[in-house]
Amino acid sequence: MSRIAAQSIRVRRAGRTILDDVSVSAGAGEFVAVIGPNGAGKSTLLSVLAGLLKPDQGSVSLDHRQLADCTPRELARVRAFLPQNPRCEWPLPVHRLVGLGLTPMLPAFGDFSAADVARIDNAVDACDLTAQRDQPVTTLSGGELARAMLARALVADPAMLIVDEPLTGLDPRHAQDAARRLQQLAQVQGKLVIASIHDLNIALRRATCIWALREGRILAVGAPAEVIRPQLLRELFDVEACVCGSGAQAFVDFAP
Amino acid sequence: MKGKYTVSLWLAGGLLLLALLSMLTGRSGFMTPGDLTGALQGDSRAAELTRLILVELRLPRTVLACLVGAALGLSGAVLQGLTRNPLADPGLLGVSAGAALGAVIALYTGIGMLFALAVPMLGLLGALAAATLTLSLGSGGGTLVLILAGAAVSGLMLAGTALVLNMAPNPYAAYEITHWMLGSLADRGWDQVWLTAPFILVGAALLLGTGRALDALSLGEQQAASLGVDLSRLRRRVLVGTALAIGAATAVSGTIGFIGLVAPHLVRPLTGHQPARVLWPSAMCGALLLLLADVLTRLLPLDRELNLGVLTGLVGTPFFIALVLRLKRVAP
Amino acid sequence: MKVPLLSLLCLITSVATAAPQRVLSLNLCTDQLLMVLLPPQRIVSITWLSRTEGDPALLKLAQQLPVNHGSPEEVLAARPDLVLAGKYTTASTRALLQQVGIPVLEVDSAADWEGIRRITLQVAAALGAQSKARELLADMDADLAQLAHERPVQPIRVIGWGGSAEDVPGRDTLFNTILESAGGVNLAALDNGARSFDLEQVLLADPQVVMRGAAYSGKPSLRNSVATHPVLREKLGAHMIAYPEAVYGCGVPRASQLARELATTLRSASGP
Repeated sequence: MSRIAAQSIRVRRAGRTILDDVSVSAGAGEFVAVIGPNGAGKSTLLSVLAGLLKPDQGSVSLDHRQLADCTPRELARVRAFLPQNPRCEWPLPVHRLVGLGLTPMLPAFGDFSAADVARIDNAVDACDLTAQRDQPVTTLSGGELARAMLARALVADPAMLIVDEPLTGLDPRHAQDAARRLQQLAQVQGKLVIASIHDLNIALRRATCIWALREGRILAVGAPAEVIRPQLLRELFDVEACVCGSGAQAFVDFAP
Repeated sequence: MKGKYTVSLWLAGGLLLLALLSMLTGRSGFMTPGDLTGALQGDSRAAELTRLILVELRLPRTVLACLVGAALGLSGAVLQGLTRNPLADPGLLGVSAGAALGAVIALYTGIGMLFALAVPMLGLLGALAAATLTLSLGSGGGTLVLILAGAAVSGLMLAGTALVLNMAPNPYAAYEITHWMLGSLADRGWDQVWLTAPFILVGAALLLGTGRALDALSLGEQQAASLGVDLSRLRRRVLVGTALAIGAATAVSGTIGFIGLVAPHLVRPLTGHQPARVLWPSAMCGALLLLLADVLTRLLPLDRELNLGVLTGLVGTPFFIALVLRLKRVAP
Repeated sequence: MKVPLLSLLCLITSVATAAPQRVLSLNLCTDQLLMVLLPPQRIVSITWLSRTEGDPALLKLAQQLPVNHGSPEEVLAARPDLVLAGKYTTASTRALLQQVGIPVLEVDSAADWEGIRRITLQVAAALGAQSKARELLADMDADLAQLAHERPVQPIRVIGWGGSAEDVPGRDTLFNTILESAGGVNLAALDNGARSFDLEQVLLADPQVVMRGAAYSGKPSLRNSVATHPVLREKLGAHMIAYPEAVYGCGVPRASQLARELATTLRSASGP
């Protein structure tokens, strides 16, 4: 998989247009940050791209295949999806939770093979959860849970990762950590990462591409330094902001 | 992994022991294994009667207790997994009441006299209707909404049952059915086994196949869907499987509550909380519990045999209350 | 001692002289006494159950009579001269009727021949139908004498059973009285303890005949499926006979005819 492309997506729910004529595309190695105010349609767009929601109009293609033609299981093998505030309803041990990410590869019955266990352990290690491997998920801290969910999403080695607000509810250290992991997935491992992000500083410094969404429409698409500018932020969020510095030192500040 | 198979083996061992106890226990007293072998070899009238009791009464009764208990334990585990709700159970979701309504319709309109399969089949239809209604009313609303939906559907099904009884031409119908609804396996025979076993087994096979999807569902509906789980197909499968198993089980034994609720909770500390790993042990635990209850009904020194549903209710209700209290403490 | 006896006599003669012309019954068993003791035109109403569940010999008559459902309004509206009631039925109705001055005769249920004689005479006295009662009781005595004469040397082992959900008629029941007069022995009366039998216990008692209550006049019911368990039907080889349960529940003189009918059935059922 190298490229996902959405064409003229329109989604209406209960008489309200949630996405209106949205066309975006992204490819392997990119870390796309979807920004925009609450209710802009970010989550809906991510659901459509993940193939979980059928748009009323328009289509999404994965390379040269239409998303609508893929079975849920096929799709599950190439992309991983994490919703907002992912939770686990039962107190599973961490490695069991991570193992759930292998569901689309497993036969209907039977326990994990040795190879599966090795993949799970790798994912657990990669997300620095080795010490928590056997701990019940319900006893994890917020940061640990976010890492466990990320490990769950990565264990099957998907080409595309779609994450809805992965940083919400994390303290600064954990938020930075999570963003760094997403950045590395794209830039080091060559995956396509699409995440909705509220923290503009993180988007500015870590993402390779920004999609700015307002009231269901794409307002701007482009490299972070080009998109995250005072004028666009005013249009997008109705706030006065200044963008200072450049490159890794760039940051956004808001006027009181 | 801490003993998936160890747990099953222990449960199977317990089940075998209890089955033996069930074969040796009657309201008129115990047989010793010595009596048993003596009876099987002798050819006196007494030995012949003992053989009849063992082969034609106690064996089918034991088999039925295992089948019905397994149906209850398994559907409880699957429903708890599907709804991600520790209080789900065929009784609490109105499925048993629906099955009872179907069976009562068959019994008192005379449809049941037309062909023997009518009672389990109508039981199945009733269970299917009730389960569909509860799950569509209560889905997506959390624990409380689902339980309320179950209570509402139970009430509706009970009212339907009362209506059928009111209109039944037989004036003693209400008495008979009140008794029947309390659940019993007394006086059942091989006829009932052959009539219900296929339904229960097919239902159980459908339910046992949901493990992988239920596991994924513990991450919530969105993540499960993203993992390739077809949620509406899963729901249909659970509905049909539960209706087959509980419809047939209720048609033969009456309504027996709480086994479906308790069995999964009893095995979780041993198997872990992963839904798929709970299913099979929970079925065995349900069989174990019902067999135990059935043996107890025969052992208690009462003038009349205690009904199974009374016994499971007496033990199950405090358990239910304890669960509610714990949920209250855990939930915000 | 003298005074109560005297007042009782007065009561009986006063009732006899002014025999009630409009009588209503609130109990399945008093229905039957009423129907055999009085002509239909003097009966205001009987209970609704008698139309379907009563003595088959009286069904035709019962279906022509008006019925009541035991509610006080029905009784008050009918303004009967006398109400016959059972000991335990519709206690509130009885209390109300006594308040408004409608006489109520409480009739015990009878479980043996002496009891039948006593309540028949009691009701007959209240109705002013003593001669009819003496006639019925003379028939009963003749039946009993005949039965005693024909009694088999070895009593036939019988149990009355309709599934383990139901009580088995035991020692002090009319069933037992009728069965013993008919030359049977009630296996449940020999047993001390259990009031309900499960199928195992029935098998262990090894009956020659299983008597099944047939109160439900062929309508769909659960007990049909229970009491026709293949073990009883085929394996045990016991004869299954149906008996009119409702009539066996009412101690009335006709019970002696039932005993004679049962004696015939038992003889043919237990024979070779």
